[in-house]
Amino acid sequence: MTAAAHALAQHAVTEEAVIEAAGVTKQYNGGKFTAVDNVSLVFPKGQVTAFVGPSGCGKTTMLRMVAGLEDPTSGMISAYGAPVLGPGPDRGMIFQAYTSFPWLTALQNVEYGMKLLGIPDGERRSRALKLLDEVHLRDFANHYPSELSGGMKQRVAIARTLAQNPKVLLMDEPFGALDAQVRWEMQEMMIDIFEQERKTVIAVTHDIQEAIYLADRIVFFTCNPGRIKKDILLEFKQGKRFGRKEDMLLLPGYVETERQLFAWMREEIKKQ
Amino acid sequence: MNGAVQNVAHLPITAEVAQPPKRPARHLFRLWRPVKGTTSALLGCLGFVAFLIVWQLGHYQTPIESQRFLPSPLQVISALYVLLTQKGYLGDVAVSLGRIFISFFAACAVSIPLALLMGCFAPVRAFLNPLISAARYLPAASFIPLLLVWFGPTDTQKLALLFLGVIFFLVALILDNVESVQKELIEAALTMGAKRRQIVGGVVFRAASPAIMDSMRNMIAVGWSYLVIAEIVAAQDGIGAVMMRAGRFLKVDIIMAGILTIGILGVLTDILFRLASYYLFPWNRKRTG
Repeated sequence: MTAAAHALAQHAVTEEAVIEAAGVTKQYNGGKFTAVDNVSLVFPKGQVTAFVGPSGCGKTTMLRMVAGLEDPTSGMISAYGAPVLGPGPDRGMIFQAYTSFPWLTALQNVEYGMKLLGIPDGERRSRALKLLDEVHLRDFANHYPSELSGGMKQRVAIARTLAQNPKVLLMDEPFGALDAQVRWEMQEMMIDIFEQERKTVIAVTHDIQEAIYLADRIVFFTCNPGRIKKDILLEFKQGKRFGRKEDMLLLPGYVETERQLFAWMREEIKKQ
Repeated sequence: MNGAVQNVAHLPITAEVAQPPKRPARHLFRLWRPVKGTTSALLGCLGFVAFLIVWQLGHYQTPIESQRFLPSPLQVISALYVLLTQKGYLGDVAVSLGRIFISFFAACAVSIPLALLMGCFAPVRAFLNPLISAARYLPAASFIPLLLVWFGPTDTQKLALLFLGVIFFLVALILDNVESVQKELIEAALTMGAKRRQIVGGVVFRAASPAIMDSMRNMIAVGWSYLVIAEIVAAQDGIGAVMMRAGRFLKVDIIMAGILTIGILGVLTDILFRLASYYLFPWNRKRTG
């Protein structure tokens, strides 16, 4: 199964590449600790990729390097053929911690990024309201984050990121701090957003089911040093995304995929 | 679902419904149990009343000939009334208030931008922090002779002393507030393309401002405690000067009236800062209920 998945992954690469990582290595403490070791990946336009693997395997570091929040020790990351030299609004990022600005209302938060881009007032307002609609927060436009639940705060952050219309959406365990029900609702909402906005997405997650549900492709990381163990396309989904999570569960191949990912996870944990 | 999920909600409950267990009577001193708002306020008032009773009893227990050294609460209040109505005490209070607020806001005007720059730029921090940390250990009162030589017994000398008394602590506290700003807020702004200036002023300062306001509220209390030191030496007016003059004539009731005035003004200042915080940062209000 893995061989076939790789063949498909190769096929996808021939499409327009949005992000390319070539031989990327990240070391800390002057080379004493290697978080990411010689990773090369290509992210084609419109594909949703999940980074999966045990904690501390360089998934988040890799994502942060794509965002431009950290520099690779060696190797290069490029976006649309130009090297990534720092963070920028073309690569929107959603964090695990709540990052909606507490001093701005939900609406002002969503407008913040558009203000930075110099989008004129009227257009900004109407686009912000439309996005709040998309994340089901229209009624909370004038609420401060302190008046919102964790899931709502995260939806404000998502709308704020989408408002800048980034070509790439980077998500670092965006639902990690949420309870199971909210997490599930957010996952289904993200599927709607992926479908509507047609973004290239890279999402880091610990949650195997979340990765299978959200992603078209899973990159599985291995520890010490952080390398790629497997890179698979979720071919059992036949290129489809499901608005309702339960519709995916009875597909042939789903259980095998989940079993395989748990087996890899167990292998990695045993090694530690 | 092919019988995979069986609904068992109709099954009868067989266990007997027991009587709710009897709980022991509520005890005021149970561990870690909060008290009601009204109880709490009542206990707070009781504390004041207990203090006044102990004071009054102490006054009665003192021999008549030395009762002037421990006047009763009523005597202190009547001394305060006389001061206010006959001695132009309000003028002294105004002078003291002016000194406190001018010196304190001057100290804030310097320390807020400084701490913000130190918190945002590591080289500025590395350059200034050892110096400022060391300066915190210099006793403010030790500057009095120096300031007297430089400025003479003027208002400038008093303002300078009050300024020096709070500035180093203010910088240290506000630096801490700035550094406590959640790093992800800054990173989120960076990924949205915010420039350095927009992050320092628009994110770090905004995020830290309620905490900075708290630091200011705490430090102005320290400012009040330096007031008397500033007004004891070479001062003709102000609350401290009135107290010093009363001391020379053993008028303990006036000294105590001075202490009481500073206490009341301190509490009012605290309330003022809390109100300012409440209205300036509506987004930071604690949710109630």
